[in-house]
Amino acid sequence: MKIHRCYPAAIIQAALLTLVSAHAQDTTTDGYVTRKEYDELKAELLAMKKELDALKKERAAAPKRESSESNAVVSTSPKQEGPEDQLVSDSHKDVTPTLARPFAESPNSLLGTTKFLLAGWAEGMFEARNGQVSTFSASFNPIFLWELTPKLLFDSRLEIEPSGGGTNVNLVNAQLSYLLNDYIALGVGEFFSPSNVFVERFEPQWINKLPDRPIGVYHGVLPNISVGAQVRGGFPIGPTRANYAFYVSNGPVLNTFDARTAGTLDFNSYTDNNDNKAVGGRVGFLPIPGVEVGYGFETSKPGFQGTPFHDLQALVQSVDLEVTRDSDLLKGRINLFAQYAWSHVDHAVYDPDGTLGFGPLPLTAKRDGGYAELAYRPTKLDIDLLRNLELIFRWDHLSRDPSGLGDPEETRWTLGLDFWLSPSTVVKAAYEWDNPNGEPNKNALLLQAAMGF
Amino acid sequence: MISNRRHILTLVLLLGVSAGWNMFAGPKEDQTTPNQSGGAVSTDSYRGLSGEELWSNNCLRCHNIRPPTMYSDAQWDVIVHHMRLRANITGQEQRAIVEFLKSAK
Repeated sequence: MKIHRCYPAAIIQAALLTLVSAHAQDTTTDGYVTRKEYDELKAELLAMKKELDALKKERAAAPKRESSESNAVVSTSPKQEGPEDQLVSDSHKDVTPTLARPFAESPNSLLGTTKFLLAGWAEGMFEARNGQVSTFSASFNPIFLWELTPKLLFDSRLEIEPSGGGTNVNLVNAQLSYLLNDYIALGVGEFFSPSNVFVERFEPQWINKLPDRPIGVYHGVLPNISVGAQVRGGFPIGPTRANYAFYVSNGPVLNTFDARTAGTLDFNSYTDNNDNKAVGGRVGFLPIPGVEVGYGFETSKPGFQGTPFHDLQALVQSVDLEVTRDSDLLKGRINLFAQYAWSHVDHAVYDPDGTLGFGPLPLTAKRDGGYAELAYRPTKLDIDLLRNLELIFRWDHLSRDPSGLGDPEETRWTLGLDFWLSPSTVVKAAYEWDNPNGEPNKNALLLQAAMGF
Repeated sequence: MISNRRHILTLVLLLGVSAGWNMFAGPKEDQTTPNQSGGAVSTDSYRGLSGEELWSNNCLRCHNIRPPTMYSDAQWDVIVHHMRLRANITGQEQRAIVEFLKSAK
């Protein structure tokens, strides 16, 4: 009985304890988490852990997948490792440290080890020539330079200019070169002919001090661009220095189909017309800094294969001079550039049976041409305006076409004044006295703005 | 044809002899020492000129010189590499010029 009376008290006490306990689990005010919060946090933690494990597994599986995909090319089914697999495995070990090395060697180059540069120039020009319609012209000449390694360089230049109703895009050069050592560089592709110093060094219009180019080096006496292979470099000789460039190329093509151009050499034909290759080069000597003298040559057999002209020999030779001097007396800098070239093609009879309408025309084709340019810039004067001016005088000459039926002998005198806005931005004005023999004068006013970048 | 082949063979022979001689000689990089102007003097460079003098002499022969700050170090590497091929300067001179251009900024 006494026991029976205790049951309701025990039940009430248990109920009260349960309630208090339950209340204590739901809301605490002492800073501790409740069971519910604890369980929720634990569940969240477990979920995050699972997610992290999954991410880790996925990340670890990626290289394996790539590796197995690349290995699938070599091995399409899993098999026991044999001697060949061991070789593959060993070679992989050899490659791995090599792959890691470039990043270690160039920590500053986050974009990679290849260096690329877009250089070049742009120009706009106005030309008013006697006997011709005056005209504006423009061109953009990007130069692409890729240095794949410190020894390996690819360079290429495009010439983009408006023409007629469209735009002309020409590949001017594209050459891959390799530095063999300090004194030898090898090149292959389409390159500027080393014997034509003007084309190789002064052609960019922010470098060329006058708006146009000398006729002597552009109209068939000297090669401009060659397609082939070359070796070049420079080396000291005691207190002096010498340089050289020798090349093998497709060479020029002999013009034989037109009376006006018969016997001349076409240097703009970049595909070969026979199995003979042209051999040429230039050697330069610098007795003192700022003075260089050079001799260039190119020998070739320019006749078409299978024609009577195939065995004709052509020889082009040239001499050049460059002088750059800073003068305190003249308070400025003087540049003298000069080159003279002459060509010879063996005797031949053009249009021997008269089928082309101008033969027979016996001819030993000889041509010559060149230029001399003198420039003065008062770089040591205190007046900015005058310091940025440059005065230029040029004489250039080209002999008549060998047949006597084409272009006459031409001699030009040009006086120019440049204003330099920056080291590579220039505004040029020039007047050219041009009097071809037996023809009306072709005097011209030339204006040009050019920028190198 | 025969004459042409003879020219090519001679050229290749000269190239081989020259390359061999120069490779045995090797580049003399250890001869480069800095000078007061921040450039480099090389005993086998032209008249022992500094990087600054080589930069001035070689570049001014053809065109106005551009300030060292005009290009980044990596761009100067490419430009001087390209100009070495065009102006036929030696590797020693190339390195001295690049060193000057980078240090002068």
